[in-house]
Amino acid sequence: MIEVKNVTKTYGKKDNTFVALDNVSFTIPDGASVAILGKSGSGKSTLMHAISGLDKPEKGEIIIDGKNILALNQKAIDKFRSKTISFIFQSFFVQANESCYDNVSLPLEISGTATNRRKKRIEDALSAVELLDKKKSRARDLSGGQKQRLAVARAIVSNPRILFADEPTGNLDSATGEVVEDLLFGYNKDNDVTLIIVTHDPDLAKRCDIQIHIKDGKVESIEGVK
Amino acid sequence: MTTYDILRRARRNLTQARVRTILTSLAIAVGAFTVTLALAAGEGGRQYTEEMMKTSGDGQSLSVYPKRVEVKANELTEYGAVNDSSVSDNTLNNTDIEKIKTVAGVVDIVPMYNIQPRYVTRGGNFKKYIAPVNIKVDRTEMKLAAGSLEDNKVPVGGISISEELLSSFGFTDAESAIGQTLTINMPKIDANGKYLDESINKTLKIIAVDHSTDATLYYQPGLYISIDDGKELYDYQIYNNVNDQYNGVVVELKSGTDIKTVQAAIADKGYDVYSLQDTRETLLQMVNIAQWGMVAFGALAILASIFGIINTQYISVLERTQQIGLMKALGARKKDIARLFRYEAAWVGFLGGMSGTILAFLVGFANPLIAEKLHLERGVRLLVFNPITSIMLIIIMMAIAIAAGYFPSRKAAKLNPIEALRTE
Repeated sequence: MIEVKNVTKTYGKKDNTFVALDNVSFTIPDGASVAILGKSGSGKSTLMHAISGLDKPEKGEIIIDGKNILALNQKAIDKFRSKTISFIFQSFFVQANESCYDNVSLPLEISGTATNRRKKRIEDALSAVELLDKKKSRARDLSGGQKQRLAVARAIVSNPRILFADEPTGNLDSATGEVVEDLLFGYNKDNDVTLIIVTHDPDLAKRCDIQIHIKDGKVESIEGVK
Repeated sequence: MTTYDILRRARRNLTQARVRTILTSLAIAVGAFTVTLALAAGEGGRQYTEEMMKTSGDGQSLSVYPKRVEVKANELTEYGAVNDSSVSDNTLNNTDIEKIKTVAGVVDIVPMYNIQPRYVTRGGNFKKYIAPVNIKVDRTEMKLAAGSLEDNKVPVGGISISEELLSSFGFTDAESAIGQTLTINMPKIDANGKYLDESINKTLKIIAVDHSTDATLYYQPGLYISIDDGKELYDYQIYNNVNDQYNGVVVELKSGTDIKTVQAAIADKGYDVYSLQDTRETLLQMVNIAQWGMVAFGALAILASIFGIINTQYISVLERTQQIGLMKALGARKKDIARLFRYEAAWVGFLGGMSGTILAFLVGFANPLIAEKLHLERGVRLLVFNPITSIMLIIIMMAIAIAAGYFPSRKAAKLNPIEALRTE
């Protein structure tokens, strides 16, 4: 369960401050798929950064599995990021010069997974996104859709509990976008992994269990909570 | 992240920026090349000097002469101001020898006997020649064309002859001379140094044929006989003349004794003392100055390459902002990122150090050519490489590269992942 309690984040100093998140609170149950919706500049990205421990709001608590991640030290946060969560980005961020295999290997190297256990997990992740045959190809030789599928493989190889996707289909055409969406929701349902998607695409948001609308740093409405 | 994983990623990143890596490491290679060559030339120079010293004199002996007229504070002593000195003051006698013997570390003292034979011949129908006959007083190494000299000394009853003189005596080659005999005719001399009719013949067996090499500083063809035979001939030649006046003596030291100490002790007793050590040190100092001069140039090249590394690394950090951001988002620690860049710098240092050293080693194949150009003996190597020094040098290059990569790697480690991932 993810509990966000009274989170406030401001940028800038003194006279020139900008409130990115203003007293935001909500709860996400384990295994849910959540869409965080909002226009650009609404604070939805800041919210994602806060929940994933990349950013530190000055007020509030974010409690994941009973631990307030805002109170953790850097080492513990790094460990939390490598063990518990994963990211998928709008512009993929796959390493163009590296092979697909090495791209997927990176999170396992960071988390310190033993070398002999990596191979199977990497190949499993690649076959889950149907890229096993491209194992040795360089990422730059892949199409956009394939790149995002590779990013999905990289995200799931570490068996995360929470998967963050920042506009995962923003750079893809609708056909390839749908393939990626199916992969994400399939993984969410099959493995009971919490999926948090930041998007401004209402069609994608509709596929999620919960929709959190953010406007001007505040929660405007939450739909789908039972 | 494990060291192995980081090393692998570092190497992969470098191979992707291949041209840049090669160019950066090339700068280090120039420095490593210069330093390696300088050290090799220094080592070669030192070895050559030592070789030269061995054939020029005995490192374990000193030459002692009477003290020359002293010039104190740039003033000459006025005649008559001190007691008039006699000729004997300009030579050494047995009293002097006894005095020098008391110095600790002195094993033996051999006077420099000056003998004046009338002629040397093989006897029978062979011609008689005026030839320089010397007494081999110390263990100065002689390069032999044939025969052998145990401990670089001529045994009693033996004689060593220069290769150049062989043909005069009718020998066809060095080998055939060994075992043959030469006879020295030794006349008595009167008090004025004039030859008298009375003489003896000393027949000695040729046991060695020596020759000059390019490493020999000073060489004069001649004949060498043992100290005992020399003393016998000397005593015979000057018979009832004053027989303990020597131009100088050779002092042999106990092995392992500090030459400098003994030299100073004998000098304190009022003698002029010369050792090969003085010359050796002067020559070695010259070699060392030349070597370190060259090393300094190499060090300058390395210094310049440091800025190259820093620059390349900074560009690399900028280029890979997104990669660094991703790694940090995935939970990579600051120190992992810093290590990644440090290892890349180390790789560059390793590549540069390695290629510079290998290039320098390749130049070492030109040793025969260098020897030929300098008209040195065949087989003389003026570039002597030391593998341990080279390994050390490569390690130093890596350390320098890592140090140069410090600031760029810190910049990479401090990158804010949110900022880094916003680059679109």
